[in-house]
Amino acid sequence: MAVEAVVMGTVPVVTAEHVSKWYGQVIGLNDVSVSVPPGVTGLLGPNGAGKSTFMKLITGQLRPSKGDVKVLGEPIWRNPHLYFQIGFCPEQDAFYDRMTGLEWVRALVRLNGLTEKEADEAARRALAAVDLMEAAGKKIGAYSKGMRQRVKMAQALVHDPQLLILDEPLAGMDPIGRRKTIRLIRDWGRAGKSIIVSSHILHEIESMTSNILLINNGRILAEGDVHQIRDLIDEHPHTVYVRAEDPRRVARQFLDDTTDDVRSLRFEPGAVVVETGRPDAFYARLTDMAASGEFGAIDEVTSPDDNLQAVFQYLVK
Amino acid sequence: MSPIHDQSYRHYAGVKAPLGRSWTVIASAGIMTIVRKRVFLAILFVGWVQFFGRAIGFYFSNTIQQLSVLSASAETFRSFLEYQGFIVFVITIYVGAGLIAQDRRANALQLYLSKPLLRSEYIVGKLAVLAAFLLLVTMVPALMLLLVQVVLAGSSGFLKTNTFLIPAIVLASLLQVLLASVTMLALSSLSKSARFVAIMYAGVLFFTKAIFGVLYAITGTTAVAWVSPGENLAQVVDVIFRLKPRYATPWQVSLLVIIGLVAASVSVLERRVRGVEVVT
Repeated sequence: MAVEAVVMGTVPVVTAEHVSKWYGQVIGLNDVSVSVPPGVTGLLGPNGAGKSTFMKLITGQLRPSKGDVKVLGEPIWRNPHLYFQIGFCPEQDAFYDRMTGLEWVRALVRLNGLTEKEADEAARRALAAVDLMEAAGKKIGAYSKGMRQRVKMAQALVHDPQLLILDEPLAGMDPIGRRKTIRLIRDWGRAGKSIIVSSHILHEIESMTSNILLINNGRILAEGDVHQIRDLIDEHPHTVYVRAEDPRRVARQFLDDTTDDVRSLRFEPGAVVVETGRPDAFYARLTDMAASGEFGAIDEVTSPDDNLQAVFQYLVK
Repeated sequence: MSPIHDQSYRHYAGVKAPLGRSWTVIASAGIMTIVRKRVFLAILFVGWVQFFGRAIGFYFSNTIQQLSVLSASAETFRSFLEYQGFIVFVITIYVGAGLIAQDRRANALQLYLSKPLLRSEYIVGKLAVLAAFLLLVTMVPALMLLLVQVVLAGSSGFLKTNTFLIPAIVLASLLQVLLASVTMLALSSLSKSARFVAIMYAGVLFFTKAIFGVLYAITGTTAVAWVSPGENLAQVVDVIFRLKPRYATPWQVSLLVIIGLVAASVSVLERRVRGVEVVT
């Protein structure tokens, strides 16, 4: 059985052979051949690189225009039985705001054939796993961005899948939420699950795994160890958008400590945009600042994809 | 030292339900959502008013000789279903307009179809929600009315002379419900706005009826009734109840139009119910 071979580690979790996907005249993915090994793999590329197309192909939501995609050793297209082993967390929100987190996860897991009682127990376990049990009874409409991301992750893992596919799971999360989510993904990887996680921020991917796939302009540019391109990133300043209750106080703290190599600062309504030469140190300190609570609420941290775009331009030269 | 986790073979611990049953989950979730709405319960109550009115009529016709005008006949049951058409229209709009449109609005299709759920199961589940409520105001009260007549008459004489009524009620109701549910579901898959879908559905029904009226005024013949889905249904149901068809359009043509509408709706659903919408 192909799935058993995958869990034994003898078969890649995903294989794509000469896969192309066109949207009319526009090419989304161009002759991609890749094998994703078991474990945690980061899919890294700027917006529009083809990450979401790749994700949609490996979740069987799109049919390749050319080539074959296999997941857990079996073709994924029109093979819904495979979804018993796959958990998918989409990038976009996909909720009924009037439902509570518990109701939503419970309703979705019932599609895996669980009875109402089993579904309730599984949903509670999944919500506890993403640290959302306290808000399980609240309407999703009242959830913060980070809570929405976590409830999406809960529905992806609620049926204990072998392979988790997470599309930009950290997008828009607050620093504490990011740290928790990164830890969760690392823990799942250590527990033997295979995870494919996409992002346009190298720092995020690097904190979860060292195995990455670099994608740009619909092609896989490189695959392997993240450390090999790590140095390239540091040569390029990294821009971070921080939405906070008191952006000026947060900015003042950034400037007080020069170890983060903050190169420039600019303010936007309710936010400060920072350019740093040392993203690792910067993100670590931002998380500590959020945890301390001394600088007011830090609601959202995002990074535009131009950081990565610069590196890709360098790579494809 | 950090623990070393065993990454070798391990059994999948989740439950593997056979594919093909998930439509019941979609259907039951949809039905529960609707029955929690008080407005819907009020609509449902109104949908049964005719039943009670007719049942009282049957009672008087069976007990008071002078009121035999109210006694049951094949036409009574045919007209019962015809008058229920209004409540079918209201329920189709209230329940059906948002069935797929709201899932599309919430991006829920992407998630549903990344679960062990076939697209056909999703469609059947949604169809079951609307069909269940429509049958509750068509087939169920019509059959109960027949039962009431038999009980009040104190003999099965009426049923013996009209044995065709049971299959006629079942067939006519199923046709009425199938046409309303499939076409509404197809329209619901075309938009993210339930309100827009409702307007579209009502618009199509009224517009085609108006077109028939205009064509009739111009040509002077009812042979053009095939342009209106509602008139086609009325024509075929007349035949099912062994009554003279009301229009000059051959009933076979009306049936073909209905089959065509159902086929077109299924085709729309096949194209529109996808996890990812590709715009080229």
